[in-house]
Amino acid sequence: MIQLRSVTKKYKNTYALKNVNLDILSGEFVFIVGSSGAGKSTLMKLLYKEETPTSGTVMIGGINIANLPSDKVPNLRRCMGIVFQDYKLLQNQTVYDNIAYVIRTLGISTKEINARVTGALKVVGLSDKLHAKPSELSGGEQQRVSIARAIVNGPPLLIADEPTGNLDPKNSMEVMQILDQINQRGITVIVSTHDNAMVDYFRKRVITLDKGEIIKDIQAGTYE
Amino acid sequence: MNNNKQTIKKKVKKHIPKDWLSELRIVYRITMETFNDIKRTGIVNLVIITTMAAILTIFGALFRTTLSVSSFAHELGNVLEISVYLKPSASAHAVKNRIGDIDHVEQVKIIPKEKSWSDLRREMEVPDIENPLPDTLHVKVDKPENINAVFNEVKHLSGVSDMSYAQELAKKIQFLNQVVNTTTLFVVFIVAILTITIINNTIQLVIQSRKEEIEIMRLMGVSNWYIKIPLIMQGALYGFVGAAFALIPLNVVQNLLNNVHKFFLIPPPLFAENIVITTMFFVGILFGAGGSFLSIKKHLQV
Repeated sequence: MIQLRSVTKKYKNTYALKNVNLDILSGEFVFIVGSSGAGKSTLMKLLYKEETPTSGTVMIGGINIANLPSDKVPNLRRCMGIVFQDYKLLQNQTVYDNIAYVIRTLGISTKEINARVTGALKVVGLSDKLHAKPSELSGGEQQRVSIARAIVNGPPLLIADEPTGNLDPKNSMEVMQILDQINQRGITVIVSTHDNAMVDYFRKRVITLDKGEIIKDIQAGTYE
Repeated sequence: MNNNKQTIKKKVKKHIPKDWLSELRIVYRITMETFNDIKRTGIVNLVIITTMAAILTIFGALFRTTLSVSSFAHELGNVLEISVYLKPSASAHAVKNRIGDIDHVEQVKIIPKEKSWSDLRREMEVPDIENPLPDTLHVKVDKPENINAVFNEVKHLSGVSDMSYAQELAKKIQFLNQVVNTTTLFVVFIVAILTITIINNTIQLVIQSRKEEIEIMRLMGVSNWYIKIPLIMQGALYGFVGAAFALIPLNVVQNLLNNVHKFFLIPPPLFAENIVITTMFFVGILFGAGGSFLSIKKHLQV
């Protein structure tokens, strides 16, 4: 599903990623780990085209998104769900509106939007918070809303950039379990994290980055 | 009753292709986004609309005055004629036909020498001598600025003895026309700059206050045009409402100018009011949307 070939990303004189080669298959659950500044976030940003590689190709579903024109980027992002460390929820809108926002722009009927939002909230266990504002929710709940928003359009790929970075261990575990359940439905999940406990607990494929290079790629690995 | 409504809704929906329904929903949602943005802009809306109305009033009033001045100049231009005095041997009809073929000539009228003589004798006392006057042609030209060109062409025709026209008056009318046209262009230019600047700054404020929200929308895959169109519509709407408010003072100016026309017995230009109102709305909407578009281009990376 995802192929990175000789990907390099350079900011002025610093290499964020150096000659990265990577294959991720459809339906996989992958942890991207590494210390701060290792290049995890840059790698994630390349996947949702927030950054463009200095050189190399980033293929998603057979399309090299490194050359994707800017007007096609929204189409790409609608084909994937993205979860951020800081949730990125619209604070002045309800949980329902936050989740429904993107699918509303596609011209989907209100009836279908209701069904999809309800379904997504059911997956993350927040069916009773439909009309709450993000400020009325805990950090863990907000992150679950952001996961619901990411899956509401039924994407084949979910990218989570440090999803447990702002959460306590209990909430982190809940969030990771939800991501695992989503993966079991056939959705490819890529999670960047430096939460070693989670990585060790779930025993998924672990790709370790250091100074912009992949130094380890282990199936059912641990954080080392 | 409610059931009836539902049944009608279902029947209507059946006949609308699914793609059309989606497009209609998108249009509806974008429109609602626009109104939500305006609602969120709050009291600033009033300030912008008032300023837009003031600018468009000045534009409308000046444009309407320009049309009136132009019609006055045209009327004055219409009374300008070239008098062509013919040689005694020339055929008035032959020369008339040749002048009639010249570009910009609207009308050629023969004044026989007998008529000129009798008119002269009626106006002043002249001794009883043989008629010394030649046959004369009165040539009307379409625009004052073309009078000189026609004059020069007629001058070289055989059979023409002498010519005259109110050269100074023609020049003044031509100058007045030029001043009026330049003023109109200048006013349009100033209005464009003012409108675009005001809307540009307003939309910049809207973008700044919604920067985080727009960033989230962008990251979630909301189309660029879905983000842009409500902002452009907001600018256009300010122009439209500003123009609507400007109709009130403009009406006063129109009435005043109509009275001036009545006083001088010169009819007001045809469709002047409609032209001014349509142009004012067009300018308001176009420059409102334009200002918004420029702001988006400058401050929004979408």
